[in-house]
Amino acid sequence: MSGCVLFLRRAAAARACRALVALTAGRRPLRTSPPSPSFAKELFLGKIEKKGVFPFPEVSQEELNEINQFVGPVEKFFAEEVDSRKIDREGRIPDDTLEKLKSLGLFGMQIPEEYGGLGLSNTMYARLGEIISLDGSITVTLAAHQAIGLKGILLVGNEEQKAKYLPRLASGEHIAAFCLTEPSSGSDAASIRTRATLSEDKKHYVLNGSKVWITNGGLASIFTVFAKTEVVDSDGSVKDKMTAFIVERDFGGVTNGKPEDKLGIRGSNTCEVHFENTKVPIENVLGEVGGGFKVAMNILNSGRFSMGSVVAGILKKLIELTAEYACTRKQFNKNLSEFGLIQEKFALMAQKAYVMESMTYLTAGMLDQPEFPDCSIEAAMVKVFSSESAWQCVSEALQILGGSGYMKDYPYERMLRDARILLIFEGTNEILRMFIALTGMQHAGRILTARIHELKRGNVSTIVETVGRRLRDSLRRTVDLGLTGDLGAVHPSLAESASKLEENVYYFGRTVETLLLRFGKSMVEEQLAMKRVANVLINLYGMTAVLSRASRAIRVGLRNHDHEVLLASMFCTEAYVQNLLSLSQLDKYAPENLDEHIKKVSRQILEKRAYLCAHPLESTC
Amino acid sequence: MRLLNGANLMVGNFPKEFHLQLDILNSAHPMLLASTPRESKCGVGKRVRGWPHEPPKYNTLFLPCRKVPTSRINLKGDCLSGRGMSWMQAILLARGLSRGWGGICGAALTGAPFSQVLPQAMRGFHCSTATHNSEMSLVPRPPEPRQKPIKALAPHEELFRQGPGGERDKASFVRAVQNFGQHNVRKRGHVDFIYLALRKMREYGVERDLTVYNLLLDIFPKEVFRPRNVIQRIFLHYPRQQECGIAVLEQMENHGVMPNKETEFLLIQIFGRKSYPMLKYLRMRLWLTRFKNINPFPVPRDLPQDPVDLAKLGLRHIEPDLSARITVYQMPFSNELTSTEDPVQPHIVGIQSPDQQAALAHHDPARPIFVEGPFSLWLRSKCVYYHILRADLLPPEEREVEEIPEEWNLYYPMHLDLDYARSSWDDYEFDIDEVEEGPIFAMCIAGAHDQVTLAKWIQGLQETNPALAQIPVIFRLAGSTGELLTSSGLEEPTPPLREGQEEEGHLQRQQQGQS
Repeated sequence: MSGCVLFLRRAAAARACRALVALTAGRRPLRTSPPSPSFAKELFLGKIEKKGVFPFPEVSQEELNEINQFVGPVEKFFAEEVDSRKIDREGRIPDDTLEKLKSLGLFGMQIPEEYGGLGLSNTMYARLGEIISLDGSITVTLAAHQAIGLKGILLVGNEEQKAKYLPRLASGEHIAAFCLTEPSSGSDAASIRTRATLSEDKKHYVLNGSKVWITNGGLASIFTVFAKTEVVDSDGSVKDKMTAFIVERDFGGVTNGKPEDKLGIRGSNTCEVHFENTKVPIENVLGEVGGGFKVAMNILNSGRFSMGSVVAGILKKLIELTAEYACTRKQFNKNLSEFGLIQEKFALMAQKAYVMESMTYLTAGMLDQPEFPDCSIEAAMVKVFSSESAWQCVSEALQILGGSGYMKDYPYERMLRDARILLIFEGTNEILRMFIALTGMQHAGRILTARIHELKRGNVSTIVETVGRRLRDSLRRTVDLGLTGDLGAVHPSLAESASKLEENVYYFGRTVETLLLRFGKSMVEEQLAMKRVANVLINLYGMTAVLSRASRAIRVGLRNHDHEVLLASMFCTEAYVQNLLSLSQLDKYAPENLDEHIKKVSRQILEKRAYLCAHPLESTC
Repeated sequence: MRLLNGANLMVGNFPKEFHLQLDILNSAHPMLLASTPRESKCGVGKRVRGWPHEPPKYNTLFLPCRKVPTSRINLKGDCLSGRGMSWMQAILLARGLSRGWGGICGAALTGAPFSQVLPQAMRGFHCSTATHNSEMSLVPRPPEPRQKPIKALAPHEELFRQGPGGERDKASFVRAVQNFGQHNVRKRGHVDFIYLALRKMREYGVERDLTVYNLLLDIFPKEVFRPRNVIQRIFLHYPRQQECGIAVLEQMENHGVMPNKETEFLLIQIFGRKSYPMLKYLRMRLWLTRFKNINPFPVPRDLPQDPVDLAKLGLRHIEPDLSARITVYQMPFSNELTSTEDPVQPHIVGIQSPDQQAALAHHDPARPIFVEGPFSLWLRSKCVYYHILRADLLPPEEREVEEIPEEWNLYYPMHLDLDYARSSWDDYEFDIDEVEEGPIFAMCIAGAHDQVTLAKWIQGLQETNPALAQIPVIFRLAGSTGELLTSSGLEEPTPPLREGQEEEGHLQRQQQGQS
């Protein structure tokens, strides 16, 4: 096994340098205007930024070979040696399994080669994620370790910190955990209570406070901890600001509670972590003092895209398992596979898997490009789409098995429980939808501000132009954003789907403009509208990804590309219809828009904190 | 009167019907009640003082001038002249009579309101009419014994006379009603008996029992009072019996008893489909259902007897925040068992929501807060008094502007960096002039309304609100609540006792720092 790892490490070395470039780029703060805005942000303006998206990002043949060689042993290990049922039942990952994971190098997948990691690119990381996904607890343990736990050191750590911590983290000798959530603070950074005070000799900080729901909290020896520190502002006032610290368990005063009993991912270790007068040397401040907020945001934003491949891995496995069952189980002298309602479920699973795979590898490809723009919206979209599809598809798969699926003898109920967490962690899907919509709106708002100002001021030519454009729009002119045609980016066999995408994108841009005009900065309060904006955007991104991928498949001549075309056009049509509905709901006075009713109903319920309707059996007599 | 007009308009267009029905449901009597004595003061009825001495006869008609079927004039004994009647009633009556509807009108006006209002009028007129409603009924009261001791007992009274140790419950009531049927095969005097039974219902605690009402209606002979020809149908057929039927329904309505199919069947059997009791029944079926749950803040029908429980109920009733916590600061403690030197310890029950607690914690200790009260709170027929702990509104220049922290939400921007807000065509904010009030920090209901008791409340509050120790508390206790304090059946009619000693309006500074 170790020989294999050596080989893998050597193979990875070739890209270590490129991965480093990507990582340094990741250090850029999020809000500065990037050189070229990301694909999703341009969608808000009604444009399709083809660069980086069309054609679908490719990896070179040798890289592909390397990945495949890498994947083999890991797959074998997971298939033969990991007993997910036992992990789930006992609520912990056995030590020998953890040791094997460490020896495979899976604890340092994205740590650069020079620090003893594998130095995988995002694409390769995503590919490996597919295999690891076969056990939810292991996936979560590994993700908490490297996607968030040590990500801070990778992103903003200085050379000494990296040299000191990364090698042992890469080997798995030390496990990392990410300590942000507190009893009083989920996503609200202002209510964090953990406090770090500078000691009198100014050599170290004294850390006090409690963190809850820390994955790996009981296993970890290195913690990325966020705490409030007093920072003197530029104007001389003292303010509380968040700072990130690297805390070793050996610093003293670090204790953890007993592992939480959870619904799913029961093998992962989740517990409370308490810090009591823990002395943290000032060298262990991660990033700048008072800059913890940005560090936390960067860490959270960077890790999300990989969920797409994880779920795709689960779904592919699920399709195999359930297809086996559907083709052998007989009812009424027919196989289950011959029933339309069963077939439908397979089509759904395949379609979802295809879309999320496309989205994930497209995003990973964008992230791996040198000079990549900020792709946090894309990553969030992948996360939202894949987590919701996972829940839906696992549930459908369980349904195919009927009663058997509900039994503990089959893995489906465990998968269902494991899948539920995907919608919650790394930012709940609700919060991510707000992030997706508002970040894009902010971008569009900045660019459209001038126009909107003129409109508001009553500039005649702008108004006439706008009205004229609306008139033309109302006549349903065909939208051409350059995807189709002779030199189009999309293969002609997908032209119909591509024009659907173009139409959606164009009208989405118009809608965004209207929304900006209507709500301005009070958009933040329009959560239901923002949800729709996010839904449309996710669909648009999915459509783009499948069109790009299927076009490439046809052009390259991949096996079964006709199947891909089928899935792609299926998804595009569905998404197109959904988008039309969402866009029309975003119009003012749209009869489809029930937001006012929804708000009223929930307001009345929440006032009484109960279901309000009288029982159907009740009467006034 | 209104009943009558309503009857007239039953087939009329809806809105009118609606209003009239509303009136009926509100039972309209308070208005009549209110108008009677007031107007009598201004000259029309100079007989106010004379009323109690006159035999308040029921079922009699005031006859101002109009012609009325003679059969209706003297239904029971002597006819009263209209001298005690206000002009308004006279006019109403006249109008009613001119249409030939005098019977019901007479009952509605002369029966209940007069006999009811008299004792009230003696005590002096109060502004609150709410409590009278439940007392109202069409059932004529027998004359007050004080005023007319010579008057013999009402007929059939003996049926309700209890043997020694006899319990007054539903069974004995039913027995009395059945005895009437057995003694009186021809059902002679059944109207009187029904009126008597209606009056007795409360004593027996069956006033909310539908079966008992049906039993009473069942006393009426069947088929006899049904109109059989056009003439009978046009005019009020057997008016006294119809009035009596209406009185039964009226009492049901006042107690919120919904008639059922059996009631309908009985009424049809007795009076026929096109009769006034039937009309009343239909209206009750229509409107009682609609108004049964009209109150968004329902009060349970049977209020707790324990003052602490009642106080808890009252506090929950006025506190909109469901997470507010009720604390009993002091349990009531009577001195019956202990020596007389021990003062009676009144109960103190308080309520405070987490938001109020937080607001109090942030209160500027330089600004005093006030204990104000007592304010009255009516729970059905009971009145409780509550006190509030409040502060004055901060002057606008001192209010802190809540600013959005820069680094707040880890996941999405809490504000967009745009320099324009909601456009006017999406701005549904109405220009409302809102009167802002200072914050209320806590409320309490106590057994006594003096400063000593309330100071104990403040002390109790300090346990959960340490900040309160630093804030000066000023007691502003009013001498009188300015509200109706007495009413029959009130359990807690005690007006604030010692407020007279504390000069109202005088601010007393107390409790600087720890008390």
